[in-house]
Amino acid sequence: MGTFRDRTAIAGVGYTPFSKNSGVSTLTLAVDAILAALDDAGLTVDDVDALATHRVGDSTPPWVVAPALGVPEVTWYLDQFGGGSVSHSVVGQAAMAVASGAARTVVCYRAINARSEFRMGGTGRGPAQIFDVQYQAPYGYFAPPQQFAMYARAHMNAYGTTSEHLGHIAVGQRANAVKNPRALKRDPITLDDYLASRWIAEPFRLLDCCLETDGACAVVVTSRERARDLRHPPVLISGAAWGGGDSFFSGAGSGPSGTDFTVTEAARLAPRLYAMAGVGPDDIDFAELYDCFTYSVLVQLEDYGFCAKGEGGPFAASGALALDGDLPVNTHGGFLSEGYVHGINHIAEAVAQLRGTAGDRQVPGAEVGLSTSQPGYVLAGTSALILRSDR
Amino acid sequence: MNLGVRPEPDRDSAPWWEAVRRHELTVQKCGGCGTLRFPARAVCNHCRSRASEWVPARGTGRVYSWIVNHQVFMPGMRDLVPFPVLLVRLDDGDDLLMYGNLAEASPDVLRPKLRVEAVFEDVDDQTTLINWRPTVT
Repeated sequence: MGTFRDRTAIAGVGYTPFSKNSGVSTLTLAVDAILAALDDAGLTVDDVDALATHRVGDSTPPWVVAPALGVPEVTWYLDQFGGGSVSHSVVGQAAMAVASGAARTVVCYRAINARSEFRMGGTGRGPAQIFDVQYQAPYGYFAPPQQFAMYARAHMNAYGTTSEHLGHIAVGQRANAVKNPRALKRDPITLDDYLASRWIAEPFRLLDCCLETDGACAVVVTSRERARDLRHPPVLISGAAWGGGDSFFSGAGSGPSGTDFTVTEAARLAPRLYAMAGVGPDDIDFAELYDCFTYSVLVQLEDYGFCAKGEGGPFAASGALALDGDLPVNTHGGFLSEGYVHGINHIAEAVAQLRGTAGDRQVPGAEVGLSTSQPGYVLAGTSALILRSDR
Repeated sequence: MNLGVRPEPDRDSAPWWEAVRRHELTVQKCGGCGTLRFPARAVCNHCRSRASEWVPARGTGRVYSWIVNHQVFMPGMRDLVPFPVLLVRLDDGDDLLMYGNLAEASPDVLRPKLRVEAVFEDVDDQTTLINWRPTVT
């Protein structure tokens, strides 16, 4: 995995507006985000020879988006099954495709109407019939907030993690979103607001949960050399890793988690990721940690090595995650407050931080950033990127 | 609690669900190395043997985690919320976990490692589910 360190770069980023009802198809969202990303890079559709996305039966695949865009010839594509846990592997695989010579310019996108059409976890339609659903759905347990609430409670039971710890994450990310013109939620909130928000699935309140968003985001991956000739300073793909296993299985002893739900697949992936990039947790200037729920941030603080196991709550409550803290986290407000595009908007924000174009929410001197996906609780597996400025 | 959501057994789990229907709680035992396993699957992840048998489980365990669900995620939940969902570690093996609703108790009794035992609920004429009630000591 080390062989493509810093050989590829993110050269462009594009968004559609985020909303609760886009009024357009996921195909339109994908096309709009990709065109915006190409424009940002200073490229055109004629430069594109590869497309990459992931879906869970809720979006438009590359072989529909490519002809809709008018891509002259597709030499490589990725249409990966999966949700947030694979969101960063899409970019990692695009980097591999470019590094190997299989593709020259890959547009990576994710386009969802996650509020107006396909809400996560099957709300409004039958639950997805995957392997473990049969043991859970008859009990009224199938929605992501329920699943992550179950894991959060396990963490509370083991380490004394509290609601206030989770609340600090929600409050802090909202403070970042106040400084982000793209964010859907820009009114500041307090810990009291958090504690007063209604129960969704105890121990989760409404403000533990991310937004459900219509929108799309795309990034352009190309070689470092080519990126240097384009519009913006390249953001290098320094580390990329993905993998995992299923922790609900008995005997799944291949990872640290087994059936200990306080440890995620990220704990197994992190050493590989850091090794590829040649850095460690102390070198990370900021982190965009997958925040489908507050708790997923807390557990990743531990599993990516920013604090000891069990210390994620006190660490989050210490103020360390603020824009002026030791480890600014979810600088755009995250899925909790900016919007939820299933992972890729974390990558886009990391690019803005490393270009130094993040405006009021810019982390001073940001040179190395971590961006992560759903840490492997649902559908197992996770993925993450370490990005750095080309200075 | 009948949500109207029937389990959809797969080719590996059908015998487990049939046993539950008979009010028997079972786990799989590997014919090669004797390791107990759950959820159901055809191949042992320790010794890769395909031989296995279904053996009785003790039917007891300890609460590992739980939620109390308030959100009406589907229409059938409207009259059932709030309701707890439990994740139970079986006494038969530390890595054997099963889900279920809480039976014969209110959520405020829930504690880490609370001792529970399996009870069978015939929710309709085709389906039986495992739930968990606090063990009376």
